[in-house]
Amino acid sequence: MNVARAAPSAALVAAMLALPFVGSEYAVAIGFELLMWIALTQSWTVLSGMTGYISLGHAVFYGLGAYFVVLTYGTVPLWLSLPLAGLLNLLFATAVSLPVLRVRGPYFVILTFGLSELVKYVVLAVEAALGEFGRMVFGVPGVIALYWIMLALAVAATVLVELVRRTRFGQGLLAIREEETAAEAMGIPVVRYKMLAYGLSAIIPGMVGGVMALRTTYFEPQAAFDPIVSFTILTMAIIGGSDDARGPVLGTAFLTLLSELLWARAPEIYLIILGVALIAFVLLLPQGICGWLFPPRRPAT
Amino acid sequence: MIAFLLSGQLLVAAIVTGTLFAVVALGLNLVYGTMRLINIAHGELVMVGAYAAFVGFSAFGISPLLCTIGAGAITGALGAALYLGLFQKLFASPALARRLEANSLLIFFGASVIIQSLVALGFSRTARGYRYLDTVVHLGDVALTANRLASFLVSAALCIAALLFLRFSVYGLAIKALIQRREAAGIVGIDVERIQLASITLGFATAGVAGALVSMTEQITPFMGFPYTITAFIVIILGGLGNLAGGIAAGMLLGFVEVYGVALTSASMSSVLTYGVFVGVLVLRPEGLIGRSGAAP
Repeated sequence: MNVARAAPSAALVAAMLALPFVGSEYAVAIGFELLMWIALTQSWTVLSGMTGYISLGHAVFYGLGAYFVVLTYGTVPLWLSLPLAGLLNLLFATAVSLPVLRVRGPYFVILTFGLSELVKYVVLAVEAALGEFGRMVFGVPGVIALYWIMLALAVAATVLVELVRRTRFGQGLLAIREEETAAEAMGIPVVRYKMLAYGLSAIIPGMVGGVMALRTTYFEPQAAFDPIVSFTILTMAIIGGSDDARGPVLGTAFLTLLSELLWARAPEIYLIILGVALIAFVLLLPQGICGWLFPPRRPAT
Repeated sequence: MIAFLLSGQLLVAAIVTGTLFAVVALGLNLVYGTMRLINIAHGELVMVGAYAAFVGFSAFGISPLLCTIGAGAITGALGAALYLGLFQKLFASPALARRLEANSLLIFFGASVIIQSLVALGFSRTARGYRYLDTVVHLGDVALTANRLASFLVSAALCIAALLFLRFSVYGLAIKALIQRREAAGIVGIDVERIQLASITLGFATAGVAGALVSMTEQITPFMGFPYTITAFIVIILGGLGNLAGGIAAGMLLGFVEVYGVALTSASMSSVLTYGVFVGVLVLRPEGLIGRSGAAP
């Protein structure tokens, strides 16, 4: 990473580090939102940006993480339960990845959505059978403490994407995106790589879900597995562009600001703009804001 | 319990539900089959049709059975507009057409969010409903409400009409040809553009009609659509692309799974069953909808 690229990232991290000391409570809340979406969208990129297997079901990892942390809160300390939530998701994703990843293209997209909804309704049924209709969490850490955790998760997710992109593994994933059959013929262990990407992209969303459950001090399956989470991640990545770690950051910043302006007052208008933006970017600017601002330098062939 | 399971009551309920599923899937089959457009907003069209009938009946006092025509006209017009305004242009450009199948999913997903939000904006998120033909009719020892019976008769008539249309009408045969071999259909002189326009209009219209029927028996909300999309996908994956008779059989099967599944467990399991079958079907048939016909995408 050269200085010209590293400097803005370092400046952004420094600004987010300084925010709780200088910003108002409101600014911290927006910063929190921003970090959450960056962490989620960057994680999504590891699978969907790199391999082209577009997930419309990352809410399932978010929800499972939230569920786990809420269930264990008070018995397992947070420093342990958050990583465990990530681990749980890694195991869950790996377990389902083999059948799920056999499904390709558009069917993979709707399958991930269906899987997320299936898990949501199973959790709902389990909670109803237990006689629980929403769980409150008491004695949660303060907002600032959670903010540091979220900042760490956002940085970790960004570093993860950048690291993966630089490895042989990441190049293998990109090859799968371009032409899976050819990648397999070249000797890339396609199945193993896809499973690993699926697992890696699930870890941090689980931890984010856990932190968010503590932030809202409440767990309710309909909210924790809300498909809008999956939809927002996808839209942010497509608007920002996912060929570069800067893309999700730009897409996230754009939509978080839009959401701040509109969500509380007119959620329907916000969702309509989200839908229009998704369609417009898919049709007109498939490389996203990032691909448009910084067109990739193609190596001479 | 056993006697209840073997009673005609559940059997009739399953057939009624299954026929409706078959009609919902019919439209998706046409749109996916002829154009390979993944209309993830199909359920939203059902929802729009339901609201059209709701408005027609509660604001203007028009019989919901007549409203089915209006509902079909509204969603059909939407389909035609979408084709002429967007997809025709996308098909015309080879670069865009190549990625259209994958992109259409994202486009329709955006569209479904837009439609849901527009309806939520206009009618609020509250569930709506109306009472129409809710007297109980007895057929032998089976009791069902008259609106359910009416909805079943319309659905069954639509299924039969669709079967006859695809089998005997020149247009129906052209649609079938397009579903089976797109390129070849153009070569033998079928006006592909016109057939595509007709398919999307008819496909969207049947979804609107199905929605109007649903509104007679169920509460409606702006977010009722997605389960219908999922149901329609299950039906055409199981029944085979472009295979209407297979689709009707698969719709029935799903109706049985849902009705008997809920009877054996509880109403809250209905969504688990629907999504469970969906995930299971896709995992078992990973090639998706194209597998059986053997045609390349």
